[in-house]
This record gives sequence, C-alpha cells and structure tokens, in this order.
Amino acid sequence: MTDGPVQQITPTEPARSGAERVLRLLGAVGVLVGLPLLVRWAFDFTKSRDANRLAIVGVAIALGVLGVFALFWLMDQIVDRLPRAWRETVRPYVFVGPALVVLSVFLIYPVVNTILISFKDRRGDRWVGLDNYEFVFTDPSMLRSLRNTAMWIVVVPAVALVVGLLFATLADRLQRGESIAKSVIFLPMAISFVGAAVTFRLIYSYRPEGFGSNVGVLNAIWTALGNEPVAWLTLRPWNNFFLMVIMIWMQTGFAMVVLSSAIKAIPDEIIEAARIDGATEWQVFRHITVPSILPTITVVTTYMVINALKVFDIVFVMGAPENNGTEVVAERMLTWFFSRQNQGYGAAVAVVLFIAVIPVMIANVRRFRAEEAIR
Amino acid sequence: MSPNGDKEMTMRMRRLLIPLFAFALVAAACGDDDDAGGDGGDGGDSRDTGRVVLMTAMEPEEVDAVQKVLDDLINSEVDYTAEVEAAGNFEEQLQIRAEGGTLDLAAVPQPGAVRQLAADGSIVALEDLGFDIDELEELFGEYFLSLGEYEGKHYGMPTNINLKSMVWYPKDDFDAAGYEVPETWDELIALSDQIVADGSSPWCVGFESEGATGWPATDWMEDLVLRTAGVEVYDQWVNHEIPFDDPAIKKAAEYFGEILFTDGYVLGGAAASADLAFGDAPGPMFQDPPGCWLHRQASFINAFFGNFAEGLEAGVDYDWFPLPPIDKDGTLFAGEFTVVGSDRPEVKDFLERFIDEAVQCAMGADEASSRISPNINVGPDCYANDILADASVVLTDALENDTGRFDASDMMPPEVNSQFWTGMIEYVRGGPSVLDKVLADIEAAWN
Repeated sequence: MTDGPVQQITPTEPARSGAERVLRLLGAVGVLVGLPLLVRWAFDFTKSRDANRLAIVGVAIALGVLGVFALFWLMDQIVDRLPRAWRETVRPYVFVGPALVVLSVFLIYPVVNTILISFKDRRGDRWVGLDNYEFVFTDPSMLRSLRNTAMWIVVVPAVALVVGLLFATLADRLQRGESIAKSVIFLPMAISFVGAAVTFRLIYSYRPEGFGSNVGVLNAIWTALGNEPVAWLTLRPWNNFFLMVIMIWMQTGFAMVVLSSAIKAIPDEIIEAARIDGATEWQVFRHITVPSILPTITVVTTYMVINALKVFDIVFVMGAPENNGTEVVAERMLTWFFSRQNQGYGAAVAVVLFIAVIPVMIANVRRFRAEEAIR
Repeated sequence: MSPNGDKEMTMRMRRLLIPLFAFALVAAACGDDDDAGGDGGDGGDSRDTGRVVLMTAMEPEEVDAVQKVLDDLINSEVDYTAEVEAAGNFEEQLQIRAEGGTLDLAAVPQPGAVRQLAADGSIVALEDLGFDIDELEELFGEYFLSLGEYEGKHYGMPTNINLKSMVWYPKDDFDAAGYEVPETWDELIALSDQIVADGSSPWCVGFESEGATGWPATDWMEDLVLRTAGVEVYDQWVNHEIPFDDPAIKKAAEYFGEILFTDGYVLGGAAASADLAFGDAPGPMFQDPPGCWLHRQASFINAFFGNFAEGLEAGVDYDWFPLPPIDKDGTLFAGEFTVVGSDRPEVKDFLERFIDEAVQCAMGADEASSRISPNINVGPDCYANDILADASVVLTDALENDTGRFDASDMMPPEVNSQFWTGMIEYVRGGPSVLDKVLADIEAAWN
C-alpha cells in the first residue's frame, strides 16, 4: 500500500474544526437512527385504519419511490468503498441484484413450486405421480376446456386481426375524422375484462316469459322481431362464441392501432410505384401492405394468442362454465385450485397452460432474433 | 504497515461500515414490519391494541347493525374493543389469517371449513378455551354443535342460523282466491292442481346464480331427502355412508321432479328455470293477478321482494309456510360458526358475551336484520321482523327436537358440491329420463 492516497486524505482531516466534527457526527447518528424510525413510522402509517386514505397512498408512494432510490444509492455507496479492482466487477451485479431477487422470489420460485405441487395430492401432502395429469387429460370438463381454449386462441386473434386490419386500412383513407374513428374503436381497450364481462352480461341477460320484461339488449331486439327470448349464455355451442365476442370487441382496437401505425410507416414511394405500374388497390394491399407489416402482424397475433390462452375473467363472470360448456383452461385452474381446494389438480392445469405458452414465446423470440440479424 | 496505512484502513472501514450499518438498519426496519404486516394487515395490530376482531362474510349493512349491538352491550363494559369486519374475499382472508396466526375470531358459514381449520391446527377448540360443551349443547342443540367437531373436540360456536324450508306465497291474493295453506305434501299437490285448474301456474323456480348456478335446486333436494327419508338417512347421505344414487335419494329427486315436470306446475317450464336468476324468480307472485303462487326459498329472499313492487308488507302482501312433511319431517337450515384463532382472555370473554342471550336478542331488534339466533333460549319476541320471529320458532323447535339438519351440499367436499349443482341443472333441463345418469355422475365425484 502506497502512501499516495493517504497523503490526499490526511490533509483534509485537521482542516475540520471540532464543532464541525461534532455536528457531522450528530448528523450521521441522526440519519442512522432517524431514517429507520421514519421508515418504520411510514410502514405503520400505511396500515393505520383511521388515517386519510389519500395520505396513506401518498406515504406509500413516497416510501416505495424513495425506498428504491435509497436502496440503490446506499448500495452504490457501498460499492464505491470496495477496493478499486472489484468495483466495476461488482457494480453491475449490485444493480441487477434486486431485480434478480424479485424475479426469483416472484417468478422462478412459484414456477418450480407449482411444478412440484402438480405431482402432489390435493393438499400437497403426498406424492401422487402423474395422477393429476391423468385427470387433466381425461376429465370431460377439462377436455372441454382444452377444446374451448383451442377455439379461443384461433378465433379471437383471427377475427380481431382481420377486423383490426380492415379498420386500419380503411381509416388510413379517411379524409377526416381518422383519429375520432380510431379512438372509438380503441376505447374498449380501456375497460377491464371483468368490467366488459359485466356489461355483456346485461346485453345477454335473459328472463323466461312471465318473469317481467327482458332487460337484455339482445333479447329486447330479438323479441321485438317476434321471437321467444333466448338464454344466450347457455345456448350451446354458440355461447362460447358469444363470450369470444367480448374479447374480440376489446382487442380489435389494439390490433387496429398497432397495425395502423405500421401501415403509415410503409414508404409512399413503394405504393406509388405499384400504382403507376397499374396495380389494383387489392393487389397493393395483398402484395405490398400485408408483407410490409407482417412483423407487426406476428407481434399482434402473439400478444392476442397469449391473452386468449390466459382468458379467465370473462368466462368466470358469465355464469357457471360447467353447466354451459364454456370452460377454459385458466378458469379450470382457478376453480380447482381455489374453489375446490385441490392444489394438485390446479397446479397440473397451471403447468399445462405454462407449457402451452412456451411455443408461442419461442416462436416470438426466434422471429425477433431473425429480425435483429437482418438489421 | 505504516501508521498512515492503518489510518487509511480504518477510514475505509468506517466509510464502508456506515452505509452498511444504515442499510442493515433500514432492512431490519422493513423486515420487521413485513413479518407483522405480511401475515394479514390489520389482524397483526390487534395483538397489542386490545382489539378483538370478528371477521365475517356479512353484507356491510348487517355489519353496521351487529357493530351497533356490540358497541352498546359489549364495548361499553369491557376494556377492549370488539369490532365486526366484513372481509371482501372471506375464504381467502380466512385461510391467510388463520395460517398466519393473526385471526381473532371468524364467523364461518361452512362446517367443512371449520373442520379443515381444526385439522390444520390453526384454530382453538372450545374445550381448550374453557367452554362447557354440555352447557353449549343445551343452548344450541347437540346436532348444530356437533357440526364443528373434529377429533372429539368442538371448534365452531353457532352464532347465526337461517331457515331454508320456507314456501312463500302472496298472502292477499292467496286468501282472496280461497286457497288454504297446505299442511301435508298431498295438500300441497292438491293446491298446485287447483291453481293449474284455475288457469294459473303454481310454482316459480329459478336456479341461475352465476358460478354457483344450481344451488337453489340442491336446497330443494335436501328438503325432500329430509322429508322422504328422514334425518338418519340424511346424515348417511351427507357423510357418503350411502351412495348418492341410493334409492332413497332417487325417491327424493322424483318428488322434486313431480314439482318440476308436471305439466303447468312451473311458470315458464322447468327447462327455462335453469336460466332464470334465483333473485328474479319470485317476481311473478307480485303481479296482478299473480303469475305464480308458491316459491320455495330460504329466509333471505324477502330482501329481494322490494325489486318487484313498492311497499310490500310481510304478513299482508306475502307470508310463508314450512314446506309440508311427506313420510318424515325435518327442517333444513344453514348458519354460521364462530371459530377462535387466538387463545387470548379478551377473545374468550368476547365470545362468551357474544353468545349471551341479551346480545343475541338485541341483534333481532333491528327490523332490517336477517340474523336469527341459534341460541334456543332467545325467544321470538326478540325479533322486530315477524318473518324472522316465525322462522325462529320453527328453528328452535328443530334444534331442540333434533329434526333440523344443516345444508347438505355445504357439508360435502367442494367438488361433490359443484357436481351436485351441475347435476341438478342437468336434471332440470333434461327431465326424468336423465335422473339416473345425473345421480351416478354426482356419486362419481365422491371418488
């Protein structure tokens, strides 16, 4: 160890007056004692029953934001005090560390644990081998849910994509009002799945004859046309499609907005050149627009396929899936895990769902990498 | 090493240590709180603050009514504060708090859940709290108390009861039409035939209840098993000592089918009733003239009557009679059990006071309340609401004479319960020809 750096530090030491040193010490002690107390108080405050709700929200946000800031600042300070040779080796891990910890606690651990539970009995006490998986692939209700989910992931993205593309193309040609038209179609995106499902419950609402007027819009129209009221939500097999309509209604706007921006990014010269060469509008659309936006279409489709795989709320809100034959995989998972308290079955369904998502993710990552390679 | 080097080391050490120390302190402060907080929020505080929290699945209005009684009769006399809490997601919260050890008391509607908590070791037995079981059996009847029994100890204190075997009818029109309240099943069928002959429909039934669609039909079945086979067979049925497709159960289902599938008995037809919301079902009773005359549903249903007409008055516009006996007699009820999650003197003191006659009686004084006390000594005079007063007479009698039975589907395992719901809907839709398959499917859910 050389005397070099020491020389730089020592001269500053005597420059400090005694009072300053005491003050600094007090300050340091104050921070050391005060900060934890403050944090502790803030935690207690957020749990108090009588405090103003807004104040609680404010304190909670401050605690979260400042807490994360303080955490990183402190760790940065610690790294600064390490021997120079280590610093830059350690620093990236220190910054990535909290994220890794959070990720493993909230993602990796649950995945591993779910897989373990899926081989155990209903309360997770005993190993049962593949029994739970046997259930998943033999129970009639589970088989229906697999079939229905397959329909969801085909029908919803397909319809939403086609309709979204249609709107995007047509809206692109509007002289005026394009943004208004798009806003209206995009609006359902802002509604939660449960909210939308509750709304559609009212649309599909049914009362048999003699039990008062039908308040459901669909039955009001249907009966006004001289028909008997219909229980839409239990009308097999069409009720599945009535449920898919809700998701299509919500996702079309998303598809439209993303595709619209992709369409606008196509260079005008290409389209003009095609037109000069005598291409019809359809040919332009088919051979220029669609190939140009193909990457975007893939992304949108992936997103919607994953969303359709995960659909649960719509089905859950709209009546009893087992009575109506509208079961889907995610709904089965929650029903078995929570309502029927069979952790084994629930976890097995979760694992199946997890495995089903993997190919979609791999396809997406591959395509993304291929695109990167082209650039 | 030079003295200077030493000094540098200490400087470095100090600089390194201070933030480390601060970090550790912050982490400790956070960590500490997470331990208490993560286990279930408010529950954690009650340890030190002298609060006793009764967690319930009640509606907010009911909570207010009960809280008022607690404030008047308990909190004014003791040095802790008893609070009723309406937990939004009751089942999950119950599990979390019970496992985390932050549960004071919870009013649990399912006996199965009580036994499960007992099996997990997260609640305290009434014996261990110092309650005398013989005394409690005097108060609540042996049967009701036995539902919360696990491995010889009792864990659930009955604190609420409601009657299910009720047939509602539009009293004013009913009397004007010259109909009589039936006292036997044959009279009930004769009355139904009479109503059909008079050109109307006797029954309104609706089974839709979102994810729980079918439960009103399982209540019907339970009532009919009690009446055709009696309490002993009912107990065997609940405990799966006889199969679900036993002839005794099939017989009850056929009685149910008699109501459902006899031409003209059910307004709109049985199949439509599977899609009719149970809350909408009684509506036609209050049309002029009534679209139907009879509706079997539990004591809570009159809360829905306000949706159909303004200012309906109990005992004038509508009334009820107990579903008549067939070969046997019985009373179907449901209720709630208060379980104790923490063995503290004030929790025990609260529970003692809570089941006390004066407190139980006071809870009936609220006209809007729908709570009936399972305490046999709480008389009908306690209830401001006449419907509840009459129901309490029937219930007290059933508890005293051991003719009352708890809702069977609530005591069966969850998957059997949901197959029971689903199966009943299949029966309602499919008619008598699917009955054998329906019962066999429910039996299969037991395995």
